[in-house]
Amino acid sequence: MHISPQMIGLVIAAVLLLWVISVFNALVAMRNRVQNAWAQIDVQLKRRHDLIPNLVEAVRGYLAHERSVFDSVTQARAQAIAAGANLEQRMAAETILSGALGKLMAVVENYPQLRASENVQMLQEQLTSTENRIAYARQCYNDEVMKYNTTQSTFPRNLFASLLGFSSATMFTAADPERANVMAKI
Amino acid sequence: MSVSSSSVSGFDAPLPAGQRFLPRDRESFFDAQARNRRTTWRLSALCVIAAVIMGIPLALVVTPLLYGVALIVADTINLFSPLSPAFWRLANEIARFGIVAFESLLQHKAADPRTLVLGTAVLLLPGAAFSVLLWLGINAVFRRAGVGGALLALKAREPNQGELKELQLADVVEEMAIAAGLPAPRVMLVDAPGANAAVIGTSPEDARIVVSRRLIDDLNRDELEGVLARLIASIGNGDLRIAFRVTAIFEACGLLVAIINSPFGPQSRRTLWRIVRCGLSGSGNNPQEAAAVADLLTRSVTLESDDIDRFFDPTTKRSKLRSRRNFLFFPIFFTNFAVKLSLWFFSGLVLGPSVALLWRTRQYLADASAVQLTRNPDGLSSALQRLNQDSGEVPGGGWASHLFVVDPKHSGRMALDPATAQQFRVLAQAWDVSAGGTSQPAQDDAAKYKEASAVFRAAVMGDTGAVARIHAFTQALSVTNPDLAAKIPSPADLAALRTGDPAALVRLRALGTVFGQQSPRRTKTQEQSPDASSWSVLGFHPSLKRRLKRLERMGAHIKLEASDSKTWIVGLVFGLIFSPFFLLILALFLLLISIMVVTSMTFLVIWLAFIHQAFALIAHH
Repeated sequence: MHISPQMIGLVIAAVLLLWVISVFNALVAMRNRVQNAWAQIDVQLKRRHDLIPNLVEAVRGYLAHERSVFDSVTQARAQAIAAGANLEQRMAAETILSGALGKLMAVVENYPQLRASENVQMLQEQLTSTENRIAYARQCYNDEVMKYNTTQSTFPRNLFASLLGFSSATMFTAADPERANVMAKI
Repeated sequence: MSVSSSSVSGFDAPLPAGQRFLPRDRESFFDAQARNRRTTWRLSALCVIAAVIMGIPLALVVTPLLYGVALIVADTINLFSPLSPAFWRLANEIARFGIVAFESLLQHKAADPRTLVLGTAVLLLPGAAFSVLLWLGINAVFRRAGVGGALLALKAREPNQGELKELQLADVVEEMAIAAGLPAPRVMLVDAPGANAAVIGTSPEDARIVVSRRLIDDLNRDELEGVLARLIASIGNGDLRIAFRVTAIFEACGLLVAIINSPFGPQSRRTLWRIVRCGLSGSGNNPQEAAAVADLLTRSVTLESDDIDRFFDPTTKRSKLRSRRNFLFFPIFFTNFAVKLSLWFFSGLVLGPSVALLWRTRQYLADASAVQLTRNPDGLSSALQRLNQDSGEVPGGGWASHLFVVDPKHSGRMALDPATAQQFRVLAQAWDVSAGGTSQPAQDDAAKYKEASAVFRAAVMGDTGAVARIHAFTQALSVTNPDLAAKIPSPADLAALRTGDPAALVRLRALGTVFGQQSPRRTKTQEQSPDASSWSVLGFHPSLKRRLKRLERMGAHIKLEASDSKTWIVGLVFGLIFSPFFLLILALFLLLISIMVVTSMTFLVIWLAFIHQAFALIAHH
């Protein structure tokens, strides 16, 4: 069987094309995962907004004299919802909300007989879980972004990734007030 | 705001004495995952090679059997409507190729390469195709059946969201699913005595997480997160599909044995019939049935106590017709034995260990992925340590032991199933009460059992103190559980026994069976329920030490005792001394298998010729 140079060229071109197609598909899948992870953060934030009224209601009766804490929680929630699509404002408001909820938990910790009640323990668990969910959603987003960015910016994929319309995604970073919090604790 | 960088990063922290890790020994969880993924590929290749090696003797044995079935069918059709001569010419041709290859294999007769290749194909292909078909069929049947049967076998229930611990479990599952970017799998609880957890399912879509209630009681939130992250990471890594295919290999082997046994015994025929029914019934119609069949299949490869033994049992009476039938089936006996022997040998020493290694790699990968999800290697490591301290036994979970976080069969402490454990506790309490502070009471249950049986023996021998003790025991027991107390023999019974009264002996025997069921020893046999790992000399679960070591490299803080290098050296020396014997035994086994395969083939060929001639005679008349 005679192998002509044209045929070799054709085979190489076909293999290259298949490779480009597979890279393109993989990048699309990764980009979708990044978008999904981003949406997941939103979902979890929304879930927290929906949960807060119930949570506050559950302990308000026990802690009637700690009004300021409840007010700050409700206020932060209202601000976060009002911020709407404005990303920067919203993230700042969410951070304040996290802080307010943390303060509420700290107040609950101060009342031993309250801490022992099953209801309050359930509430604590729900708050912990809510905060964890948001943190894990952010972590997942960052992991996906890292995977996607590494894939689309390493050689030789970087040669044509931007031509196909893939640009690197940005990581989620803690807002300044949050980081300042951590620094203050240290 | 005085921030010292050393306290944050820990880089400049003084090293503790005797520290074994240098910075280069550290491994990020991303690196660990990549390494384990690469190893998976290598081990998958090894598994494929092992499967091929195991397939060769099997195909050699099964192929003639298939030809035999085809020949009998063709001959029967030929009786009623003669087949075209072209068909018989083709059959002759195939037979000729096969015999040429067979002879060159046995007597090193030279043959031209083309005939040899064709002959090998004739000898191997039908059997190989048959085995692959079996595997695919099993795959399809069990995929359709889903996981419902397994959940029923485990007696799994939904968690109660109104209860703090169970709410926590549901929350942690959700959190970990979010961290992994997966839809949250459903979580089920099992009220088992052991602390363990597993993920079962055939694909990420129908994956279920099964957690024993004791696990959530024993572990704190961080540890629970570690365990569930590991399970969910395992789903995300696609382990379910691997586990499913792997078990299907072993189930296909079991099915092969059942098919080959089916002429001999009702047991295998019943199993076969159940599988067929399972395959024909609609999707997920009868999940319980599927689980039962899976259990039967993994069991059916054990070499002893088979239908075939009963069939050739010389002690059973049989008619003339039956002994003739035995004579007719005699060649298949060799086939049967050859198949079972090669399955047992190759799956135990070749395929089983490679699959076990592959599965261990997947477990390490899942551990590393769990660290990625929680960013807290300490949670998983302390959970693993705690789970390994106790028995992780989960009744009904034996067949899926490879899917659990820790090996459910390891015996940290004795564990009984709840009902028996409860009864045993009643007995133990009564025993303590009856002691009345006269003697030092035995501490744990096993010691109590030992003491009780010694006292019973003494009572039978006529020791008055022992008789009094038993009397006190019976009375204490009749307060808490009169039913059980009624089963304890009275002193009069014991006296009668000494004089050799057979009725008393019978009663005491009955008592022995009651107590035998409740002794901790019984659970040992329960633990030996069949599962995929019974196919391999190598366990499917990596040792705790290895897992912890890998977690330590990813940053977990573990206090491991320094490994004892002496035992290692002793093991090496023993290995060196005994390795020639092992090799000899291996060679002998291989020889035995090849002899069995050749004998089986020879007998089958003669048998086929015999049957074909018989048909020809009938056709002639």
